[in-house]
Amino acid sequence: MRMDRTQRGWALASLAVVAISGVAYTVYTLESPQGPRGGSTVGLMFGVIGFGFMIVAALLGARKRVPTWRIGRAQAWMRGHLWLGFLALPMILFHGGFHFGGTLTRVLMWLLIVTVFSGVFGAALQHYIPQVMTSDVPLETIYDEISRVRSLLREEADRSIELLCGNLGLSKHSNEEGQRAGGFTALRTIAASAVPLRTSAAVSAGASAAVAAAPEIILLSEEESAPLCRFYLGEMRPFLEGRKQGGQRLADAAKAGSAFAGLRTLLPAPAHSTLTDLEDICDEARQLTRQERLHRWLHGWLLLHIPLSLALILLGAIHAVMALRY
Amino acid sequence: MARTRTTKKLAQRIDLNYFKRPTPLKRAKFWLSLALPLLALIWITWRGFSGDHRVYSSGRMSKAHAVLEKDCAACHLRTAGAFSAKTADAACLDCHDGPIHHAEQIYAPNCTTCHIEHRGRISLVATSNASCAQCHARLLTRSGNLPLWAHIRSFEDGHPQFAALRSVGDARASDPGTIKLNHAIHMKPIRRGPNGPNVHLECGNCHRSTAAKADLTFADEKYRAATVSYKDSDEFLPVRAESLKPPRSETGRELMAPVKFANACTACHLLTFDRRFDFGVPHDKAEVIHAFLVRTFGEYIAAHAGEVRVQRDPGRDLTGKPITPEFRTLTPAQWVIDRTAVAEDLLWRKTCKQCHTLSFSPKSSRGKIELSVSQGNDSDTLASVSGELPKVAPANISLQWMPHAKFDHGAHDGFTCVSCHAKAMTSTESSDVLLPGIETCKKCHAPGPDHAESRCFECHTYHDWSKRKEVTPKFTLPALGTGGR
Repeated sequence: MRMDRTQRGWALASLAVVAISGVAYTVYTLESPQGPRGGSTVGLMFGVIGFGFMIVAALLGARKRVPTWRIGRAQAWMRGHLWLGFLALPMILFHGGFHFGGTLTRVLMWLLIVTVFSGVFGAALQHYIPQVMTSDVPLETIYDEISRVRSLLREEADRSIELLCGNLGLSKHSNEEGQRAGGFTALRTIAASAVPLRTSAAVSAGASAAVAAAPEIILLSEEESAPLCRFYLGEMRPFLEGRKQGGQRLADAAKAGSAFAGLRTLLPAPAHSTLTDLEDICDEARQLTRQERLHRWLHGWLLLHIPLSLALILLGAIHAVMALRY
Repeated sequence: MARTRTTKKLAQRIDLNYFKRPTPLKRAKFWLSLALPLLALIWITWRGFSGDHRVYSSGRMSKAHAVLEKDCAACHLRTAGAFSAKTADAACLDCHDGPIHHAEQIYAPNCTTCHIEHRGRISLVATSNASCAQCHARLLTRSGNLPLWAHIRSFEDGHPQFAALRSVGDARASDPGTIKLNHAIHMKPIRRGPNGPNVHLECGNCHRSTAAKADLTFADEKYRAATVSYKDSDEFLPVRAESLKPPRSETGRELMAPVKFANACTACHLLTFDRRFDFGVPHDKAEVIHAFLVRTFGEYIAAHAGEVRVQRDPGRDLTGKPITPEFRTLTPAQWVIDRTAVAEDLLWRKTCKQCHTLSFSPKSSRGKIELSVSQGNDSDTLASVSGELPKVAPANISLQWMPHAKFDHGAHDGFTCVSCHAKAMTSTESSDVLLPGIETCKKCHAPGPDHAESRCFECHTYHDWSKRKEVTPKFTLPALGTGGR
């Protein structure tokens, strides 16, 4: 969620809540001979409000699990989660009089602090990373399908290279390629035709008519194809398979460009269009890698935020019951 | 051949059921969301079953109660099997007596109103100003009689000037002491001292705390060893703050020890009385001095019979007194009377009067000493050597200037005396009160981390420990930590 002007209402309301609570806390502290205590009326009030904010913030998870609930817009829920979750921290600090107390309360305080600050960190990431994603990964795909798309790219590259260099024993598509939900994969058709997909630039520009050029089969001699085969088997295929090898030139756009430029000087001109396709496949694979990395940043903090917040709610409820009962 | 992508073909790469398959991230999120709350639950249940209730404690106990940390039941009494959140005063009074503050107080707070536990290893005596201000900010008394300072909120807010420095009506504050001492003269270089010229006295030459060893630079062993007939009560005003002392042992460095003549004055202030003797009279009551003089002169004339023939000293011809003949021959008794009168005249009108307030009245006690003066075989009984003896006013030296507060000189050892008692350098009158004012204290004692403690408890004690009652012990050593008593 972007932290833009649309958040101003929530931000101002939160600021007002903090200011009013701060004034109330100061007056209460000055007037109370014992100093601020969680068990006093005002202290309890802050505690109830703070815990209420936590519960409302936690309900976002439930709301997401049941998207068909017609209780408020998803955007309103997310804003409520952000700002009420953030407000829970000052409320609980006022509740405890800025003391961390005993074992359970200290655990709760640290859980709250880590949860709130991981949430703030996550909100900041969700503000910046989508912009980076848009600029760096124009070929973004669904994160869960990245490994599959990557394997499809490798198979496409295998076919292209075998068309040029002859059978290298690479071109075999997995049986998983079969029936997919709702139809067939694009590459199944391509694989059946055994030629690379070619459409005009007009198609990619959105024109209604696609022009399929006739396939041009060029088979290089063993001597001519040797540099390409070495490059493909030694560098490009491991890169497409996502193997972690040191010094992968293809992971870097500039170095990859140089590598392909070098190959062009070694290969005859008819092979250059295939080289361009391979370079394009590499670029797409590189973007998917970048997308994976960004996605891990974008959602990785949730591994901390969600479990801690659930533990916080559970222990907070126990603390409330024990403190009120005894 | 250019590789091209259409939306349709890109879409065809996607498995439309992808969201049904768990990814490592989703799986980790799920298991962590399950495991962490479960761990928390196991932890809290385990602490509950192990009987260790400290987990629910709202904080660590104070230094004095640290031993009770595991023993919640020591203060939180069990009611129907469960601990009470509130501690009853009875739990505190089992171990401590809490005498009332003042007979006039209209409100007696609970123990926990002022002494707040579970705030870490603090001192429970360190109560907040607000605890005292509950009453002292708007003081009400049973009798309805209110002191002038009925609105004290803190040391900074509403605290009056120290009582000893407050003027009453037109009368300025004055020292009740009667010893005439000019501090200014004593603090300047003194031309002649007992051990040489240019003596420069320091405060510590006369003033030391009770526990400190006295500085004997200006002492005289003879006077220190001598017994005196007067009592401390003739010299010092009683210390009146017994009721407000904290129930803890004192270091003896709180108050300054009384300045004794034998320790601090004798080296310079010689009590000589006659050129025939190189010693002085005792520092004692007039009757004792009179007896000493008669006895000393009697013994002297017995040993120096020739001195009964007395030559007139023109230097002692005083206006208004008859001039004596050039030579007189006195009996030993007359000689003693004569010399005693001269010596006492010197002492009463000069030497003693320099520091003490003496009063002569017809009703003054008169010495009457039977003395036998032997001269060869003659025996002359001195039937009566009597004279008008002065009455020495009690010194009334104040040892404690703040009867309702405690001040510890020992805690201020690092500071020079004059940094607080600046007036001592210029004071010429013994009636000057040299106690530093409240503003001097406020230079260091103020709120905030850069200052010394300024809360009420630093100087004042709430409980009147003179009314303390003994309590019957409840705990046994093995029972501590197991909840038993």
